[in-house]
Amino acid sequence: MGESIKSSIRSHCVGTTAVVYASDYLNKLTGERIERECKKQLESGARALVIDFSDTELVNSIGISILLGIIDIAEKSGALVVFSDVNNETMQLFEMLGLTRHVVLARNEQEALSGLSNSTIQRPAVGH
Amino acid sequence: MNNQRHKPVLQILGRVKRDEFIGRSAELERLLAHASFPADGAVAAEAQGMLVLTAPVAGVSELLRQTFDTLFSRREEVVPIYFALPRAETTAVSAAIEFLNTFLRQYFAFRRDEPELCHASLTLNDLLKLAPAPDLDWIQELVETYNQHRFGENDRELVRFCLTAPARVLANDVRVFVMFDASQLANYFDSPFSFASEIIKALNSLNECYVLAGLRREILGAVESVCAASNAHQVLRLDRLSEDDGRNLVSSEARRQEVVINDESRDLLVQQLEGTPFFINAILRAAREAHLPLESYLACERLYIDELMGGRLNRYFSSTLEVIAPQPDLRAAVVRLLCEALPGTNRTASIESWRRRLQLDAGELEQLLQSLHIYELINRDGATIDVQGSSEVWRDYLRSRFRLDALREPRALVVADVMASALKRAPQKIARHYRRAAGLPLRELVGTFSSQFVPQKLFQYAQYAEIYKGAMPEEISSGLDSDKDLLRLPQIFHAASGVSFSRALNALGEENSVVAHGFEGAAYTDENEIVWLVGKLESKLEADVPLVEQWLRALENVARQSGFVRTRLWLIANEGFSAAATELLRAHNAYSSSHQQFEILSSRLNPELSSAVDGEDEFVLILPMGADNEMLAASTAEQIARRLGFSTEAVNQIKTAVVEACINASEHSLSPDRKIYQRFRVEDDKLVITISSRGILPANLIANFETAGDAETRGAQAPTNERRGWGLKLIRTLMDEVEFERVDEGTKLRMTKYLRSAKVGAPPVASDT
Repeated sequence: MGESIKSSIRSHCVGTTAVVYASDYLNKLTGERIERECKKQLESGARALVIDFSDTELVNSIGISILLGIIDIAEKSGALVVFSDVNNETMQLFEMLGLTRHVVLARNEQEALSGLSNSTIQRPAVGH
Repeated sequence: MNNQRHKPVLQILGRVKRDEFIGRSAELERLLAHASFPADGAVAAEAQGMLVLTAPVAGVSELLRQTFDTLFSRREEVVPIYFALPRAETTAVSAAIEFLNTFLRQYFAFRRDEPELCHASLTLNDLLKLAPAPDLDWIQELVETYNQHRFGENDRELVRFCLTAPARVLANDVRVFVMFDASQLANYFDSPFSFASEIIKALNSLNECYVLAGLRREILGAVESVCAASNAHQVLRLDRLSEDDGRNLVSSEARRQEVVINDESRDLLVQQLEGTPFFINAILRAAREAHLPLESYLACERLYIDELMGGRLNRYFSSTLEVIAPQPDLRAAVVRLLCEALPGTNRTASIESWRRRLQLDAGELEQLLQSLHIYELINRDGATIDVQGSSEVWRDYLRSRFRLDALREPRALVVADVMASALKRAPQKIARHYRRAAGLPLRELVGTFSSQFVPQKLFQYAQYAEIYKGAMPEEISSGLDSDKDLLRLPQIFHAASGVSFSRALNALGEENSVVAHGFEGAAYTDENEIVWLVGKLESKLEADVPLVEQWLRALENVARQSGFVRTRLWLIANEGFSAAATELLRAHNAYSSSHQQFEILSSRLNPELSSAVDGEDEFVLILPMGADNEMLAASTAEQIARRLGFSTEAVNQIKTAVVEACINASEHSLSPDRKIYQRFRVEDDKLVITISSRGILPANLIANFETAGDAETRGAQAPTNERRGWGLKLIRTLMDEVEFERVDEGTKLRMTKYLRSAKVGAPPVASDT
């Protein structure tokens, strides 16, 4: 299980699943860092992305638009995207802007990883 | 609300657009209401008239032009007619003919819905060709009759005919509303007959509502000389602008003239130009022409002196003096006499001394003094002439004129001296203004005393402090509410600054004392008559004995010198009074209050006055754009919202909305200063946040805002397309009220969140489809 902290974004891999940690404020800058990290993981062969929001207190609309870009890239690569540990306020925004239709939600990282490993997590029904 | 009011107002006669017309909205509404009021044949003709009594150059003409534009734009049954007596016309006949021409032009412009006709240069024959078919008969007759009068020999008949032309309108579907601007009436004093009388009689003969505007010291007398029942007219008084309106006018005019100005210069101009619209416009136009930013007192004063000695201000006063005293020698002598009567010269001017010095007969002198009085260049008070009460701009003009023309001093020396004097005066003037604005509104509060019952403890510092010092506002409030020891306030009928009664009080602060006359109890009797002498002490700690002694002595002196029989002393000190000072106050049977007691009393007697004093419910934050600074704004919003008791969920919604608003301000405006201006205002049950920025707004943002509500599912259905531009949609979803406004300098977003908001949960936008 390797872990990298490049560009101030924490991430690590569990098998073919990459776990990427969003920072406390998800805006353009931090969103782009997550995007770069996710792309890198997908290029390295990741089949699923878990983006963990346990540290995230506030997101803005630019950050959300970048997350949509990540979902798009992941879908094109045939990879699943799971959001874990999203707080209520952030969840409300995700729902408002339709992100939750394109990702799987997990209570925390552990639930995301175990769901992926025993295949209980499926691709969301609604795609584009 | 009447939908008509939402129609855009055309700029036809107005010199400025409606949104740039500042400070006269209440007056405008009154005029519009008067125009809409149908004439009643059963009512006396005068009762249908409204007199607008104006101070000189207070903006009456623009007010009437704006009224015209509004009525014209409404396209209702009221045909607005605006006519201003020309300053340049030399005779009543030519002015009356001009009135007839203007009336027909504006009438046709309205009937044909061709506003440009108002500005056309047309003869009566040209106008006849434009007459609308339904009006052709009466207009033809009018022109024929006019031609008979025109070539007759009776000027008075011709004037009368022209001025009564609006009464000849025979159309059934419209009625004429004449606004006659007679602020230049004084120019027509040498008419062989009373032009003023003809105007007033003609307006009364209309049998329609009308407006007659004129200088306040002239028009009322003229009306009274014609109408027995002058009090039947409605009266609208137009004085200088309030300080708030003055500030708004300076800011608006500076924007319009593209003059850079800071807040300090704006405040100085308002004070120095005494809230007079004409002077403000003149200075800002001059600043534009000179490409001069007004960012310092020096820049303001330099421009002011330039204007005074050779610009619009100079031309205004020079031409007014030329009208009053056409002969140069007489004019120079008048300037000398006026200058000698200025304060600081230690010379009083009597009317008799004027007569001797000017070598005029009684009638000529009367005419001269009357004209000076009408233009408010002097105040006539019995046998003396007072210049002190006139405008400071006028007095500056007089001094410079006198030194240049009479004393023949070098111009450079006069300019330097006048500027030095203005610069020395500027900080004092501003300091006085700030003291007035920031100080306790003593006179206003005492003026509201009207036999109310209030807790006695609000006037007894020691007892109040013993119970309530350190208590929370709610505890104090409920304690006072249940207090049965009440004081009945007197009914005050007159309250004035103490300095008006004794100059000695000036030493204790110009705004710090009030003398208020009133009655205790219901009966207006000698026994009940009382004078309250109120003092506000400057002390950062509890006021001590020497200070209190000084005040008691000063106020008691005023009472003795003025012969007041029954008095009540009331001293107010920020932090209250020391124990020894309290004893002294008790010995003098004086009331005492701290600032806090004063505030509580204010809020109980007049909440409006109280909120004007504290201003503790508003927070302003200015942040540079970028560098995640929106988080600072969000953090401020969070602190304020938590203090107000918003739920955690609501606090987060507010924070997100603030972040989005800041991002929008940063991204969508080509801002010259790269700053975001935020204002958080706490109101009873809501938090109002205004985010604004200077700069140009791209058109697509407006479209985005307008369609934000229609794009509810855009994000859900198209993650790859149109991923941006959700900020405003989010804001609208998270906040209870959102108003987006384009202002001259940029954009302003006003967001409101109510404490009992309906938006307590996330709307289920992304439902499965």
